[in-house]
Amino acid sequence: MKKQNMFFRMITASLVRRRSRMLVALLAIAVGATILSGLVTIYYDVPRQMGEQFRNYGANMIFLGAADSEGLTPDAVERGLSYIDANKLVGVAPYRYETVNINEQPVVAAGTDLAGARATSPYWIVSGEWPAADGEVLVGEDIADVFDVKAGDTLSVSFTPATAEATTAAEGEDAQEETNGIEMTFTVSGTLDTGGSEENYIFISLADMEALTGESAAYDVVELSISATQNELNAIVDSVTENVSSVTPRLVKRVTQSETTVLSKLQSLVLLVTIVVLLLTMICVATTMMAVVTERRKEVGLRKALGASNGSITMEFMGEGMLLGAVGGLLGSILGFIFAQAVSMNVFNSSITFKPLLIPITILVSILVTGLACLIPVRSATDVDPALVLKGE
Amino acid sequence: MSLLEIKNVSKIYGNLHALDNVSLNVDAGEWVAIMGPSGSGKSTMMNIIGCMDKPSRGEVLLDGKDISKESAKRLTEIRRDKIGLIFQQFHLVNYLTAVENVMVAQYYHSLPDEKEALEALERVGLADRAKHLPSQLSGGEQQRVCIARALINHPELILADEPTGNLDEANEGIVLELFRLLHREGTTLIVVTHDPEVADVAQRTIVLDHGKLSREIVNENFHD
Repeated sequence: MKKQNMFFRMITASLVRRRSRMLVALLAIAVGATILSGLVTIYYDVPRQMGEQFRNYGANMIFLGAADSEGLTPDAVERGLSYIDANKLVGVAPYRYETVNINEQPVVAAGTDLAGARATSPYWIVSGEWPAADGEVLVGEDIADVFDVKAGDTLSVSFTPATAEATTAAEGEDAQEETNGIEMTFTVSGTLDTGGSEENYIFISLADMEALTGESAAYDVVELSISATQNELNAIVDSVTENVSSVTPRLVKRVTQSETTVLSKLQSLVLLVTIVVLLLTMICVATTMMAVVTERRKEVGLRKALGASNGSITMEFMGEGMLLGAVGGLLGSILGFIFAQAVSMNVFNSSITFKPLLIPITILVSILVTGLACLIPVRSATDVDPALVLKGE
Repeated sequence: MSLLEIKNVSKIYGNLHALDNVSLNVDAGEWVAIMGPSGSGKSTMMNIIGCMDKPSRGEVLLDGKDISKESAKRLTEIRRDKIGLIFQQFHLVNYLTAVENVMVAQYYHSLPDEKEALEALERVGLADRAKHLPSQLSGGEQQRVCIARALINHPELILADEPTGNLDEANEGIVLELFRLLHREGTTLIVVTHDPEVADVAQRTIVLDHGKLSREIVNENFHD
């Protein structure tokens, strides 16, 4: 039999046949590894998780039309969007604003991709339903109050082109009926509560806006919600500015900056906790391993009496400790993921991304910590005088 | 030819002379018992012969080489290569089976060989208990595993410290019978004991008292 085979036979026998003793040490290592790998997983997943949470606060980038260009055409927007990773794009809402009349009173109507608006502005509170089809309108709370409408009511909206208004003023009331433009009746699907200026608008689909105004104009602004870090957002702004001349991208600074600040503080906190846990784990494992080695002083004495060198004894105990560290680390990396998943589900309400690289790293750290923890008690154990120990003194 | 020569050896702890100018020769193949009451220096003598301690004065020649001034590392090597130890409390590794306990001695000496270890257990009548843990063996069986472990590397000298101290009469008989067998095969035996019955079966008995060699008794009726 090869020496290595006997070496592994001895250390596995020690771990397997001294189950109750080793279980305590294994538990200490596994708990430490669990918390460690769990916290590291959370540490790396926090930006993604928080990024998604921050998307609830609305768009973090807007596209404006460049001053000396044909404007924010659908084609220009498409080209701008091609510089953004589709997986990170939470929502895109192009807006076209026009002043329309309701009961002869001017009101701002926003034509938009309503599904996109819903994705970029998840904080909007709608009483009733979001418009599901053309011919439906979402009415801001203030407008709803003024015209006394609620979900299910109908609303007559008319649009007078600027040129028609000018003509009307010049030619008198006789010409009014011919140049009044188009009038459409919408069904109110719901009313909108945002706490902001949106409550003074009505929202219709882009198709309805085209029908109402009789023309397909460029967008006034496009709101984008992107799940990305500040640096990634800056890179997008640079690429779009450089490559799409008709689009001027801008970051919504109040959102992106507060996101960056909160993220860095949260990551620092998790990092600090991780370091403290690592230190506590080392102390706990070292104490346990110290007790495990100390209670085996007699065995160390016997092995020395049988001719074992100090190096050989150190190797055997370290081998045991490191094997224990490997098993504890493997257990910990699996349990750590479950722990991180549970934290993520409870705190962020979404599942965590599995990082396979964390398994070998956790095992390696556990082996290293356990090896270091064993080194001190094993060193002192090799100082044992076999004659004294074997006499029971 | 002398396998072991102890020349004017003393071991002094402060004012206490645990061994006081003791000289002794043990020939190869001889069976010697060392007797004496508690505190007579038996254990000190055993530790010095077993390379687990060094004398304060004097020389210890094993196989003609002075080992009294060797380093602890070298003494470990000598003990591993030349001496087989048998203890009163057996001292088996409690999580290893009987055969694995025997193989541990092989592991530190050269290469473990399970077949050879099983043969050693067979010699001491424990072939059928090879896969048992020490806790599953009786005291007598544990001592026989200890003897098999001491024999496995074919040492020049077997050093037994109170080998029957924890055994009943039946097991004592089995162990002494094994010693007879080893002696017949030419193994040198030094048995430290306080039991006159164990000493009586040796070829020669050395009696220590207060660290001095007080008597030497040659067993006229010795027979293997």
